[in-house]
Order: sequence, then structure tokens, then C-alpha cells
Amino acid sequence: MLAAFSDMNWQLIATATLTAVFGVDAMYFAIAAIGLNVQFGYAGLLNFGQAGFMACGAYAIGMTAHYWNISFWWGIPMAIGYATVFGLIMGIPTLRLRSDYLAIVTIALAELLRLIVRSVTFKKYFNGSDGINGFGKTFTEETPFNPSGKYSLWPFDQNANLFGRVMLLLIFSVASVMVGRMIADRLRGPREKLRVILPVVIFALVMLGAKQTEYGGLGFKSLIVGWLVVFVIGALIYMLMRSPWGRVIKGIREDEEAVRSLGKNIYSYKLQALILGGAIATFGGMMFSLSRGSVQPDNYSRDTTFFVLTALVLGGLAKVTGSIVGPMLYWGISQFISVFLFELTQAWGGRVEIFGVPLITSSSQIGAWVQGLLGLMLVLLMVFRPQGLFGNRKEMALDGR
Amino acid sequence: MDAEPLTVNGSADLSEVARVARGALEGVPATPGAGKPDPIMTAVGVRRSFGGIVAVDVDRVEIQRGSITALIGPNGAGKTTFFNLMTGFDAPDTGAWSFNGTSLEKVAAHRTAAMGMVRTFQLTKSLTKMSVIENMKLGATGQRGEKWWNGVLPFRWRAQETAIEARADELLARFSLDHMRDEYAGTLSGGQRKLLEMSRALMTNPQLVMLDEPMAGVNPALKQSLNKHIRGLRDEGMTVLFVEHDMDMVHDLSDWVIVMAEGRIIAEGTPDQISSNTAVIDAYLGTNQGKSLLEDM
Amino acid sequence: MALTMFGLLASPVQAADITIKVRVQNQVKDEATGKSTKEPIAGVKVVVTGADGVVVAEGVTDDTGLAAIVVPAKADYTVTLDESTLPDGFVLADGESERAVTEDNFVTDSVTLNFFTGNAERTSIGYWSQLAQRLADGARFGLILAMCAVGLSLIFGTTGLTNFAHGELVTFAALIAFVLNNERGWSLLVAAPLAIVAGGMFGLVTNEAVYAPLRRRQIGLISQMVVSVGIAIILKNVYLAYFGGRVKAYAAFNRQTCTELGPVCVTPRDLTTAAISLLLLVLVGVALQKTRIGKATRAVSDNSELASSTGIDSQKIIRIVWFVGGMLAATGGIFRGLDEGVSPFLGANLLFLMFAGITLGGLGSAFGALVGSFLIGLFVEASTLGMPIMPGADWPAPFDWLHDGVPSELKAAPVYVVMIIVLLVRPQGILGRRERVG
Repeated sequence: MLAAFSDMNWQLIATATLTAVFGVDAMYFAIAAIGLNVQFGYAGLLNFGQAGFMACGAYAIGMTAHYWNISFWWGIPMAIGYATVFGLIMGIPTLRLRSDYLAIVTIALAELLRLIVRSVTFKKYFNGSDGINGFGKTFTEETPFNPSGKYSLWPFDQNANLFGRVMLLLIFSVASVMVGRMIADRLRGPREKLRVILPVVIFALVMLGAKQTEYGGLGFKSLIVGWLVVFVIGALIYMLMRSPWGRVIKGIREDEEAVRSLGKNIYSYKLQALILGGAIATFGGMMFSLSRGSVQPDNYSRDTTFFVLTALVLGGLAKVTGSIVGPMLYWGISQFISVFLFELTQAWGGRVEIFGVPLITSSSQIGAWVQGLLGLMLVLLMVFRPQGLFGNRKEMALDGR
Repeated sequence: MDAEPLTVNGSADLSEVARVARGALEGVPATPGAGKPDPIMTAVGVRRSFGGIVAVDVDRVEIQRGSITALIGPNGAGKTTFFNLMTGFDAPDTGAWSFNGTSLEKVAAHRTAAMGMVRTFQLTKSLTKMSVIENMKLGATGQRGEKWWNGVLPFRWRAQETAIEARADELLARFSLDHMRDEYAGTLSGGQRKLLEMSRALMTNPQLVMLDEPMAGVNPALKQSLNKHIRGLRDEGMTVLFVEHDMDMVHDLSDWVIVMAEGRIIAEGTPDQISSNTAVIDAYLGTNQGKSLLEDM
Repeated sequence: MALTMFGLLASPVQAADITIKVRVQNQVKDEATGKSTKEPIAGVKVVVTGADGVVVAEGVTDDTGLAAIVVPAKADYTVTLDESTLPDGFVLADGESERAVTEDNFVTDSVTLNFFTGNAERTSIGYWSQLAQRLADGARFGLILAMCAVGLSLIFGTTGLTNFAHGELVTFAALIAFVLNNERGWSLLVAAPLAIVAGGMFGLVTNEAVYAPLRRRQIGLISQMVVSVGIAIILKNVYLAYFGGRVKAYAAFNRQTCTELGPVCVTPRDLTTAAISLLLLVLVGVALQKTRIGKATRAVSDNSELASSTGIDSQKIIRIVWFVGGMLAATGGIFRGLDEGVSPFLGANLLFLMFAGITLGGLGSAFGALVGSFLIGLFVEASTLGMPIMPGADWPAPFDWLHDGVPSELKAAPVYVVMIIVLLVRPQGILGRRERVG
């Protein structure tokens, strides 16, 4: 049995995992998670309809091509408009009530939105269950990258130009310092030394990882643009949460009556947080659909919301770094399990049994096992480490109201 | 009550402002609903019931500006509900009430604070997962940086923030909390939290401060300093309305006492008038407070 | 999906002869999803006659509902389906048993004809009897939904948890019954009660293994809610891994002829499940009102601290609620499975409607959940009918839905609209108590 492990293609597993860590899925999840973090992490609003907001963005872009026949850039203001309307419909009836109501209404309305966009009745606007395909060509075609080429995030990749090299090195070093210092501050021991050592270690790991990645040239531009969007939005939220606005939001999460007694309009702030988080999530939907040139209604089911939530909890609530690193690790883990199980099934002759219990008898079951294990991860995190990897337990305020 | 006598009761240690406040109330008859010469808050016919049980049924009450008024009564008398109704945290079934002559009907809770009326809570609501100074800064009203579009433009609120922080530090020093400035509010003791909540309320620059049991669960030494701080508020021209069970404290601190029982106002008067009022003693009889009230007074 | 594609690719190889392919399927419209499911009907005799009225060839449909009838040449034929060979209770949807085939139809070497049986739109029926039929179906669905939702509401009432995995609890028993019925070959009359007990045990185990420890560790309600989301993900995927994603029917499943009951038509099975549902719900109602445990349950729901101080063991009540709620959900799941077939998504698809029902009835009130879910069931069915008796045909959107009925693919939409209006106007629901609302 153990011999089978050596038959597995570990190089493939490593490449798939690391490619996923920096991949499109991690990118659009990160954007959605930053938005969910504003709502759930900072303001304590249990929005279970993030997929609906993401769909707002994806369909805003899609409709520019399918229905309006205008430049996809118009998708951005339209997406924000949709998210505002969607947030108002969700928030106005529920934000004065207990937090359960928001969860119930958001999950229901996001599902309703999916039913509407995939319906035959509204096919004229949203093209039904086929989704909208083949748009954003001006975006994907005007690319400095060779569409049939292979690219990696390794700064010394032969395909990279000087600008790309400098940018990659810059981003990796800044990110390594930020993440490294954050981890150092969480650890006991010689903190000053760790604050130097950890960033170096992480930088080395990131560089090693980046060398393993492999992306097609066609989607590479949207990947790069997408990660830039992640960093810009992340930086803005970082600043916003350190402003007096963020102070009010964090106060509401802990005790809204106290904040109300100090003259703040809680209801309005909660609506603002809900809509802001939703508007951010639309960018996730936009970048994802642009990267494929396609919008599929079933990408925005409730499972998407739940997995964005899982990724966020993994990274750590109420931390911008957590909401970015969480999705990266989430997709790394997801891809690792998935390719690992696939290779394992192959190596063990198409069947995985543990103590005689058949776990995998066909490769079509692997997807379900991966998702099930990720669900288990969410449960374990919530119970044993609710602050995630980067969160601060002292600041965690998830007490039910 | 286990409280020791805190200060000598009498007018010898009263400030000039306090003397004026007591003087203004001298001519007011000691009857429920008595009119005051200069009321800052007036409530008329305010009634609130919960599923058939009448929690508050106040025909008329006025609070004299610049005074310290105590609101006492046995448990379940409706004192906290009355606070909630006045500050917009709950809505009465019927009734009218006003602050500074402005009707507060249909005014949301957060607007009352902006109008100069602030309250604290019986169970302290310090935001334990924020630092003490952040708690304080949250109290300031009219902050530009609290608009979301200004949030990411620090230059639009930085100057105001610095001013707010300076005022917060000043208040923290006055309430002897400055050494805890950067600690999480959760690390404070119960008494310190009461102080923090009170000083945070002062950040709103109120005219009327409504304190719900400010002395509950506070050790005797801190009680003394709270006592001093509440007098200080009156000396600065603020009006104080507070709910309290500690009769020593009520007698010692207040210029005027309002007694509630079963939702109604059963007596009003100066502390001395109240302690000899038979209706009050009747209301307390049979309750735990009744015994202590009679002993205390 | 992939299998049918291979099937299609494989068939032309052997189709050198000129054939008329006749496919006979029973078409069932899923009222919840708006999708039609088609099941093949085997053993149906089909006769092909030439233009001169002489029988050319005959065929009988196989297990895939297909009869491939070889004909001598590309010419005009009449294809007749022998209705007497249809299984009992099956009728052709359009009533046309004869089809004409012309020479031009033979574009390739074969022509395929489809015959459908089943409940295609019955347009000739008057509005009031249609409405009565919908309301009867809706009442039955409402009863099933109410059974599923009672547990959800009682769990919320006694523990404060909004259980997002309740749909998977509903699915669990339906799958257990399926495995016992279809794979072990046990009668559903044995399989269903066993599955219902299993559902109750499953609820109990969920409480003991997950939520009771969380409550002991004083983990907040919002965290518990997120945990329930995780549990829902795990369960759904375990079901999916072992059961596959397709909708399957119980082996005991056979289509029954409906009996006229006044203006409506119900099958004996539907009547039985509805009667059992009603009986169980009445029992639950009486138990809550009259028995000691029922009263204690309501006391814990109203105020668990107060209940504890009067000597009620609230943890014991919570265990009972999980067990009984699990059994009711199981019953609902199995009945739903009888109606719509079994899939890993059976319960999850009902979760939103349960939430809507509970919100309508009043969060945490058991009677509210009963009434609310029942009304939601009725409403879902009736909303697709609309009010065509109202004058005017060209109503502007979205009011045309009021007139013509909601498209069945969007039948959930009016439910959510109702839910939002309830929250705006009367957030405590029909039977809920007024909470202080900020």
C-alpha cells in the first residue's frame, strides 16, 4: 500500500496546489472574502448571500454584452448599482431584527437571484441556464502575454520582462514582510528576531512556490489585474477600518445598543457595511467572469457563499491579511486534496478503501469528498480556532445577540 | 446595605452651582407630577405595557435643569423602562415627552444623543474588545471620519481626530483611567467600566446625563469618586438624572428625588421630604429595599 | 449525462436498416423545480401500418422505453400506440395514439417518435376545479413542509440555533429508506419506520456529538450557526459521494390512478401520506399543549433560564426535541421522496421554504411553524395558477404573474416576497410574540 504513494505524481500535485494558491479562484474568492469580512468580520452581519452579490457583478459584465451591447466597462457602475439595490432589499427588512433574520433572508434572496438569472422567463436579459458567453474579448485579447504560452509567477521566468520581474519581487517582498511580521506578533518567544527571520523564511517559501506555478497565457492578464484589484481593495479596507467609520462598525459588532446610545445611527451603518461588502464582492464576480469571458448562473449557488465563508474563517475574521491569505490557502488545500485523491485513486487501482470501507470507487466521487473535507475544516476551525490563522482571539466578537 | 457613610450630609460642602439648583427647587410642592421652574425634560401621559402588564404609566413628570435628580423605586417599578422610553430605546403605547421644549416622539434613539441627552446602562456596555481610548473616541459626535466616503481620506478627518483624542485624554485623566488608556476595555474592573461608560457618555457633550444605577457593583472607594464626579457634572452646568438603590447615595447626592412604584410616580420631593413620606415607605414595605430604606433614613 | 452521450454515439453503427424508433416515456413535472422528469415505459406495443392500411411491422418498447421497428423503405406510414398495453393508470398526455410519418421525415435512416404519458397541462378544466386541485396538492405539500419545519423551529426555540443543516436531516431518512427499499429489497412499510427512527437517532447524535458540547463550551450562537453550515456541507457531500447526484425513485414507487374526491383528484398513496402527516402534526400539537414534556418544551422555548429555575432539565428537553424533530423531519423527507424522488438535495431544496414558513409563523413558535409552513405550501402551489378569472389578459409585468400565475421555475419568488413583507410589517410572524425591536 505504502509503495503506492511513491507511484503518485508528486510533481503534479505540487504544481497544481501552488498554481491554485495564486490562481484565479483564489483571486476572486479573496475579493469576495474582503467584502464578507467587512460585513461579517468587522460589522458582525451574517450575510449568507455573498454569492448573490458576486452574481450581481458577473451579470452586470455579462449583460453589457448580452443585453445592452455596450463596452464591458459599463459593467462596473452597473454592478455597484445592482449590489446597492440587492443590499437594500436584503437589509431594510432585516437589519432592525435579530441577526438570524439577515442570514435567512440573504441566503434565500441570493438563491432567488440565481433562479431568476437562470430562468427561461428572463432569458432575454440573462440568457437562462446557458449563461452568457464570449464577452470581454477586448479585455482578454489586448494582452502583452502570448495566448498559447506558459507563464509562472517566478520572477526569473524566461518569459518575464523587466517590469514584471520588478513588480513580482516587490509584491512578494512586501507581502512576505506583512505576513511574516503578523505571524511573529502572534507567537511567543524572541519576537524581535522572529520579525526579521519569519519574513525571510516566508519570502523564500513564496519564491519556491512561485517557481512551481504554471498558467496559460490567455488568462494570465486577468490573473495579474485581478490580484492588483485584490491589493487595492484590501488596502482601502485596511485604511477604512482604521478610520472613525471602522471604529463605529467594530463597536456595532460588539454591542449595538451602546453605540446607539452615543448617537450613531446603527441601522444606517449596518446597511452601509452590507452594501459596501456586497459592492466589493461584485468585483470578485466581475474578475472571475472576465477571466473566462463567461458567466454561469450555477457558479453562484449557496455553496459558493459557504466556501467564501470557509476561506475567510481560515484566514481569520476582522483581518484584511486574513481575508486575502485565507482564500489562497483554501484553494491550495482544496486543490491539494483533490489532486492527491485523484492520484491516490489511480495508484490504488481506481478504488480507495480504508479498513474495508469503500471511500472512493470512481473518480467522480472525488469532488464530493473534497467539498466534504472542506466543510469539516470549517467546523473544526469554528470550534477550535475561531480566530483563524491571523485573527486575534481577544478581538473576536461572534457572540449571538 | 453595606455602604458606610460617605460624606457628611449638609449644605456646608455644596458648591455655588449646587446651592442655586437647590434654591430653584425650594418652592416646588412635594407632589407627584409637580411643575418645575425650568424643566429640561417633560413627560406627559407616558404609558407602556408588555402583554397586559403595565410597566410604565407616568401622568406627568418634569426634570429641573441644572439639578441632580434621583429616580428611585423597588425592583420592577419601571425605572429602566422609563429610561428606555425617554431615550428612544423603546416606544410607549401612548404619551408625549419633550427635551428642551422639542418633542421627542418619533425621534430615533441615536438622534436624542445628538440633541444633548445621553444615557448609560444598568449592565455596563463598555466595548470590551476595543481599547479604552477607542471607546472614548467613539463617543464624540459629528465626526467627519464616520462618513464612509471620508474613511479612506485621512486628511479630511485627521485634525478633528487629534482634537477628539485630546479631549478623550483629558476626560480619562479626570476619571483616573489614563493609565488604562491603551488596554482593552475588557481588562477593566467593574467599577472602572462604570467610570469609562460615564466618561464616554460625556464625550457627546450632553446637557442631560441619564445614569442607570451608576453605583451598582462598585466598591466603596470608587463610589466616593463617582459621587464626586457626578457633582462635578452639575457644577459644569449639566443636568443629571440617575437611578439608584443606595439610599445613602441618593440622600447625599440628589437635589430632588422621584419615586416610582408599579410604573407610576408615587412621590416627589427633596431627599428629606421623601424620607418621611409614608407613601414611599408603604411602597417599599415587604421588599428588601423597604427594610434598608427605613434603616438608612 | 456522459452515459447518454456514449449511448447516442454508439447507436448509429448498427443502424443500417431503415427504422422507425418509438420512444414511450412518462413525463412528470416537478412542481418544486419546474423541471420535467421522464421515465421510460417498457412493454408498450406499437404497430406500424403502411399507406394502404396494412400492418407493416410491430414492436414492443424495451427497458429504455424504446422500440426500434425496422420498415422496408422510406415511405409514408401510420404509427399507432396500443393504449391497452400501457401500464394501469397511464394515459397519453395528448390523447393522440396515432402519428403519421411521411417519406420526407426520413432525413437519415431513421425517424424517432416520442409518446408521452402523464400529467401534461389539462387546459379544459375550469378555473375553480384547477384551483381546488392546486390547493389540495398545496395542502399536502404544506403538511409535509410543516413536518419538516417543526423540528427546525423547536430547535431554534429551545437552543437558539438556526440550524442550516436541517435540510440534510430531512434528506438522511429519505436516503436510508431508499437504500433499505431499493438495495435491500425491503418493503417500504418496513423501511420507512426504520428510517424514521434512524432520522430521530441522527438528530439526537447531532446534538450529543456537536451542539451539546458547543453549548457546554459556551460557543456563541453565530458560531454555532456557522458550524451548522459546515455540517450541512459535510453531509450533503457524503450523500453525494455514496448516492450520486441523480433523482431516483423508490422501488415501491408505481404510479397510481387518482380517485375523484369532489372537485379534486388524489391517488390513494397521496391520501395516505396526507392523512398520516395530519395525524402526526395533530399529535405534536396535542403533545405540546397537554403533556408534561410538551409543556416543558414550551417553557424552555419561552425562557430557558426561568424554566431551569423551576426544575425543568432543559438539556433533556433539548435532546427530546432533537429526537422528535428528527423523526418528523425524517417522515417529511420520506413522503417528499415518494412525491418527487430521492436525491441528496431533497431536504436542502426545502430549507428555504421551511425558513419562509417559520418566519411567517413566528421564529421559535412550534405552532407558528406548523401554520406558516402549511400556508407556504398552499401558496407555492396556488401561485403558479394565478387569477385568470380576473378580467384583462395583457397585464404589465410583473402583474401579469398575478393574472397568469408565476412560471413554475420561479414559484419560490412569491414566497420570498411574502417573507420580506412579513418581516417589514409584522416581524414576529403570525403567532410569534412581539420582541423588542430596535
